[in-house]
Amino acid sequence: MVKGKSLLIGSGISVAIVILFVCFMGALDVKALSKTPDDTQPIMFRPDIITFDNMEVFGKLEKTKAIFLHDQHTDALEKINKDCTACHKTENGRMSQKFMRLKDISREELTKIYCDNCTKCHTEMIAAGEKAGPVKCDECHKERPSIQSSRVPMGFDKSLHFRHYRAQDNKCDRCHHEYDKKSQKLFYAKGKEGTCRYCHKEEPEGDATVKVISMRFASHLACIDCHQQTRAKHMDAGPLRCAGCHDAQEQLKIEKVKHVPRLKRGQPDNVIIKTGDEKGVIPSMMRVPFDHKAHEAYNDTCRVCHLASLESCATCHPLDGSKKATKNGREITLETAFHKRGHQSSCTGCHESKQQDKNCAGCHAFMNKTRQQESAACLRCHMIPLPERTGELSTSKAAKMARLMPQLWKETFGPIYKVDVPKTVVLKDLVNQYEPAEYPHRKVFDAMVKKLDGSKLAQYFHYDDTTLCRGCHHNTPAAGKPPRCANCHDKPFNEDNLFRPGIMGSFHQQCLGCHQKMGVEKYTGCISCHKERKKES
Amino acid sequence: MSISRRKFLGWVGAAGLSTTIGKSANAATNKQFTGYPKSFAILHDTTLCVGCRSCEAACNKVNDLPQPDKPFTDLSVLETKRRTTTTGFTVVNKYDNPKDSQNPVFYKKQCNHCLEPACASVCFVRAFKKTKTGAVTYDSSVCVGCRYCIIACPFEIPTFEYDQVLTPRIRKCTMCYPRVIEGLLPGCVEACPMEALSFGKREDMMTIARERFRKYPDRYVDHIYGEHEMGGTSWLYISGTPFNKLDMREDLGITPAPQLTAGALSSVPMIVGLWPVLLAGIYAVSKRKEKIAQTEKQQALTSALDKERPDESDIEEES
Repeated sequence: MVKGKSLLIGSGISVAIVILFVCFMGALDVKALSKTPDDTQPIMFRPDIITFDNMEVFGKLEKTKAIFLHDQHTDALEKINKDCTACHKTENGRMSQKFMRLKDISREELTKIYCDNCTKCHTEMIAAGEKAGPVKCDECHKERPSIQSSRVPMGFDKSLHFRHYRAQDNKCDRCHHEYDKKSQKLFYAKGKEGTCRYCHKEEPEGDATVKVISMRFASHLACIDCHQQTRAKHMDAGPLRCAGCHDAQEQLKIEKVKHVPRLKRGQPDNVIIKTGDEKGVIPSMMRVPFDHKAHEAYNDTCRVCHLASLESCATCHPLDGSKKATKNGREITLETAFHKRGHQSSCTGCHESKQQDKNCAGCHAFMNKTRQQESAACLRCHMIPLPERTGELSTSKAAKMARLMPQLWKETFGPIYKVDVPKTVVLKDLVNQYEPAEYPHRKVFDAMVKKLDGSKLAQYFHYDDTTLCRGCHHNTPAAGKPPRCANCHDKPFNEDNLFRPGIMGSFHQQCLGCHQKMGVEKYTGCISCHKERKKES
Repeated sequence: MSISRRKFLGWVGAAGLSTTIGKSANAATNKQFTGYPKSFAILHDTTLCVGCRSCEAACNKVNDLPQPDKPFTDLSVLETKRRTTTTGFTVVNKYDNPKDSQNPVFYKKQCNHCLEPACASVCFVRAFKKTKTGAVTYDSSVCVGCRYCIIACPFEIPTFEYDQVLTPRIRKCTMCYPRVIEGLLPGCVEACPMEALSFGKREDMMTIARERFRKYPDRYVDHIYGEHEMGGTSWLYISGTPFNKLDMREDLGITPAPQLTAGALSSVPMIVGLWPVLLAGIYAVSKRKEKIAQTEKQQALTSALDKERPDESDIEEES
């Protein structure tokens, strides 16, 4: 009995201790608030990193992927008078891009090729007293490599294209080709040229019989091969080292041709974008005349707009959304393709991106980025032909109509601003600590009109006499004298109108915001606009 | 006083059980204190702030603070990073703008007026109070100057008047409590020419912030700082620059500070209450054990003596 009692007392005490312990652990949570120091390890960046990941096709890797610096090896081999053939085999006069082999056969074989050849060469170099790379497994297969890639993608812009075109004596077939399935051969088709990426995608595509190699593979195969051959002829040629194309600094050194002649591939000068077709889609909107020639000059490659092919837009994007198709963006209607916001390939998307220009930001930065266009703005593209030309235009065929359009545009360009703008406006609404600010209204307006000068796009869309006015006098009818700012903007933080700034906020946000966004004058304190008010004594 | 062993152990068990039950019940609920309904908040939009220091000047004026060495119109002050002081309840600091090097970012720092303030939770004299306006007020008349609040504040805001020998006080932004209850705007908000500070109900401030995100998605980081930080604060911030670039802590988590210590602290009264009971219990039980042992010993002695007695009587009878 006595023994039983003491056992119970003992367990009572241990319960209490456990409770205490739990509470103590709870207090430890507070430590979660303390800061932890950042783990910083110096990382080197190089553009020539090749990660050996070829073996992934054979299943899960046993070790981490080894990192290889290609330019470092090219340079080292050059020093001991060795060329590409030291590592790359050649077949049918073309150099394989693979290391010491022509094909990937098996996991074991690949392991052997890499480990044996790398270590063999490194060991030999070390034995000869030279500096060389690793010879132990973990020195290549590092858990956390301290080198990262700074590789930038290489693109063929119009200038570079022209330089190659010129160098190849205008022979397009040196690069451009199509694939003939029957004879399983590449052939050149005149007038069918397109961007490499239309066929050569990120990853290799196709089945066992027709395999379209990846863009990465295709470009290295074609570019490097040609550069090598040209150099062998002791002629000037493009880069052979990785950095030559893929280093940001080196890219800047590539010569740019200022005036690239227009690329000719049978494209039209002007296009009429249809809003209906013969198959039953009734045109509801006005057709859009489009200056194709002018837009060619605004972009660096055709690919900016022609994402998947150089065919007309309607080839891929259907007018009618109900038609089911999924290939090549066919699920995107023509309407979306032209009006999608934030997409560089759509009309609206590209035009809106131009609004971010410093000259435009004063007004456009304040505009709601998710707003709908005013319906009057639709007519700037879906234009109603001018009345006196209507007869001629409506009877003419699309091609003729397109030819006539530039004349029409000319008449709509260059708006004349006849608005009666007051010279100065004294803003007296807020006199308190400072004297009223004198706002040079006319000067600001004239400066804004001047900003339109350089831009055809801006001139075209700021057509109305009062379009510019509405940059500040928003929510104001286009005609007549605008209401005073204080009519709407009164006291701040009105619960009934949460999003409307008060009078002081609206003035300062408008003036300072515009100056800031357009980089006009920097804010240097209140007295840059206001005179300090003398205290009455 | 007699206490039965069974009763005592029952109490201990019940007390232990009740703490565990209480905790798990709390963890299973969705309810959390999210501020007084319709309390006020201030939204600071750092994308609008131009760093004019008008808020600092206004704060100085409404709180009757001494004039600083350099006037508020001197913008060179912004070149160094400052923190709140006993004579400056709010400071504006300048930061580089990664998006636009020409236009730096300004961040106004002051007490964030947490919905569940850490300062109030550590203050054992209850000098701090979260009022229904949203302001966390301080009552110097009860303050003993322990400065626990300074240690507790995750935003490093409260300051102590070390130079006051007899009546040192904790100094921090009051969210202009006296002005707000009179229906006036807080000094800084009223003075801000850019309306970079908005004042109103916390829900409305949140709506304004979200509307700005919607209207200008490129301009903002899609996060309202203070909505959930440390359980939520009555000062809210929106910015185009990541908040950690403005020296705003992003490692604070969303748990209100008092909740972090609530588990440990809630058991303090229990321990304080239970230890005497436990010790007294142990004492009582051991006492009772001794008593029983004594009685048993006595009984054994008596019975032993009783066994002896007949002999004595025999002797007596004999004699």
